[in-house]
Amino acid sequence: MKTANFLSLFFAVAILIVSSGCMPKSPLPLNNNYSSYKIDVPFVAPRSKLCASTSIEMVSSYWQSMTPYVPRLSLLELDERTLIPAKGGTLQIELMAAARANGLLVYPIEPTFDALFAELSERHPVIVLVNRSFSWYPLWHYAPITGYDAKAQTILTHFGDEPNEAVPIATFGELWKRSDNWGVALLPPGRLPASVSAKVFLRAAYDFEKTGMTNEAIIAYETALSRWPDYVPLLFALGNAYYNSHRISKAEEVYRYILLIDSKYPYALNNLADLLFHTQRSEEALKLLDRVITDDVEIQTLIKNTRKEIKAKKI
Amino acid sequence: MKVSKLVLSFILSASLFTQILSAQVVSTGAILGRHSIMDSSKEKLVQIIARQDVAKRFQELGVDSKAIEARVASMTDEEASKIALQIDMLPAGADAGASVLGTIVFIFLVLLFTDIIGVTKVFSFTKSINN
Repeated sequence: MKTANFLSLFFAVAILIVSSGCMPKSPLPLNNNYSSYKIDVPFVAPRSKLCASTSIEMVSSYWQSMTPYVPRLSLLELDERTLIPAKGGTLQIELMAAARANGLLVYPIEPTFDALFAELSERHPVIVLVNRSFSWYPLWHYAPITGYDAKAQTILTHFGDEPNEAVPIATFGELWKRSDNWGVALLPPGRLPASVSAKVFLRAAYDFEKTGMTNEAIIAYETALSRWPDYVPLLFALGNAYYNSHRISKAEEVYRYILLIDSKYPYALNNLADLLFHTQRSEEALKLLDRVITDDVEIQTLIKNTRKEIKAKKI
Repeated sequence: MKVSKLVLSFILSASLFTQILSAQVVSTGAILGRHSIMDSSKEKLVQIIARQDVAKRFQELGVDSKAIEARVASMTDEEASKIALQIDMLPAGADAGASVLGTIVFIFLVLLFTDIIGVTKVFSFTKSINN
């Protein structure tokens, strides 16, 4: 192809793109007051198809350098746990499961720039999913966001070969939009996300417990109590985690504390009754069950069953 | 590893992770609205089947069989069910490098299009709509 031909081709494509209205615009509100942040996330060179495990590794080593957190998995193990060869990449769920198995709490952020900048402002790197191409030929990619340059209006990210690559906010907005602004903050269990949803945090912490990581769950619950000291579902989760890990006196203490806040909370009454029964205090257990007043049939059945069990095996 | 062996290990891990001390304790999952208060054996069975499905699909998709068990065990019930149902639709993040094949396809399509609308003449087999 001759140079002139090539140039005319180039201009034709350029005009096509401009005239079709595909030029990206800044996704941020005008007059936003997001400031600049730069988080020192250690850089790991990219390897084909392994952006998920590489992203987890970078964020894990960041927390390792900042806090007493120690990763549970090696980079090789992260690779083995994330790649699906026939898909040539990693599912979001597996990124989350692998990060959690590595000992980090996986907190899904709200799909907004506000939420992203809130985490960055507390120096929490966020791993985002982007589509580098169009929906008809998707090229999905994970990358940790490491900062923002307010002056240049660029997002800083360990996107590819270059650490802290500056990507114009408009371009980043386009790529991120294609994953519906999906992002997760990975945090050591002793850290709270910048966002303030007690319920979302509780779910994330409980996910530790469901995959057999009760100690991490307990640390996360205890940390969350510093922000939401009287949030009953959180206390209940902590009591249960203690009970499940056979720390009976701790569990009893937490269940009793819940009843100080809400003396009729049926689930705490029930579980405390079960605990008392298993520690040879059946009389007190039955008295607790008498305190449950509810119209809920499911709870009534539950209490009836617990009572039956205590009476049958009364020690 | 044979799938039947995997099934057995999932049954074991499922019973390990349900954290029920006795039938009457209310789990945290129940108050988070994820399942009913009473421990349901039907829910457990659905879980075991979902995890089995995921393990089987992973095997078909070329996942190292040594890693399958740990991968499926590290998922929560909700995660395993979601993967079991939607694995073929979910996006998979891959890498930051330009895919050579992808770029070639992209350029081909753009040039084909520009050929057809008559602003280029790259391929001999295209006829411009202006002709």
